[in-house]
Amino acid sequence: MVAEKETLSLNKCPDKLPKRTKLPLPVHQPHSLVSEGFTVKAMMKNSVVRGPPTAGAFKERPTKPTAFRKFYERGDFPIALEHDSKGNKIAWKVEIEKLDYHHYLPLFFDGLCEMTFPYEFFARQGIHDMLEHGGNKILPVIPQLIIPIKNALNLRNRQVICVTLKVLQHLVVSAEMVGEALVPYYRQILPILNIFKNMNVNSGDGIDYSQQKRENIGDLIQETLEAFERSGGEDAFINIKYMVPTYESCLLN
Amino acid sequence: MASSDVKPKSVSHAKKWSEEIENLYRFQHAGYRDEIEYKQVKQVSMVDRWPETGYVKKLERRDNTFYYYNRQRECDDKEVHKVKIYAY
Repeated sequence: MVAEKETLSLNKCPDKLPKRTKLPLPVHQPHSLVSEGFTVKAMMKNSVVRGPPTAGAFKERPTKPTAFRKFYERGDFPIALEHDSKGNKIAWKVEIEKLDYHHYLPLFFDGLCEMTFPYEFFARQGIHDMLEHGGNKILPVIPQLIIPIKNALNLRNRQVICVTLKVLQHLVVSAEMVGEALVPYYRQILPILNIFKNMNVNSGDGIDYSQQKRENIGDLIQETLEAFERSGGEDAFINIKYMVPTYESCLLN
Repeated sequence: MASSDVKPKSVSHAKKWSEEIENLYRFQHAGYRDEIEYKQVKQVSMVDRWPETGYVKKLERRDNTFYYYNRQRECDDKEVHKVKIYAY
């Protein structure tokens, strides 16, 4: 009975409140409701929509075991193992001019995906030597090199991308017509460059040593695209621009 | 060409880089004293060179593997003093 009277009196005279008790607050959620976007729950007044999950454009992909590693461990490569070499050179068992480029060059390019010693060293140095001495044997092999190049770039690993870009720069100047031969394949290899193009370190006034060592990805990409444009002939620029819209020509003004 | 081995009389170390020192560096890297010994051991009259610079391009080592060298200079300044010049 007493309780009823109290509540009744409260209702009639809301100003005369006993000091001990407080009015219950209007119903508010103590924490805001986190919800996914584009759901009915997100439409509620006090719900906060969670941002989209990261797409993982810069996330590194795991490497698969490559054919290069398999052949290397079987000893199928005409390379001699050096334990006493003082320089960064490999000794070839067979003269490079006599090698079958159709067989070996794509295998070496497959080794670009490797990140551990000695595989990555042999792949890199092997490609360098074969491109230096290939001459006109390189041009017919270009279509078979595209898939290994694409796989290496798709790993999204900075070190692998740097090495691959330097290899690409060497490739387009290694022999005549190679630059032009590469133009139809731009749409397969340039999309990754578009993602990493702006990866430049903004250090203000400081010295960026990675630039000196040619390891700054943004600058390397710019150099590579310029090399492509110079050696690719007339259609090169427009094809590059199609895949990398922020690229500006270095030949035309 | 003499078929018997010609032995050098004296050795000295290089002090400053030059094109000759570059070629000597390349021969010594492959395990020979210099061009004379290479021609004696391998019985060749000509050594593969790069046409533009004249540096040694390809050498066959004693185990019959091949070393290929770059068009440009490979011998750093800090390696110059390790290059030996043989006098006959």
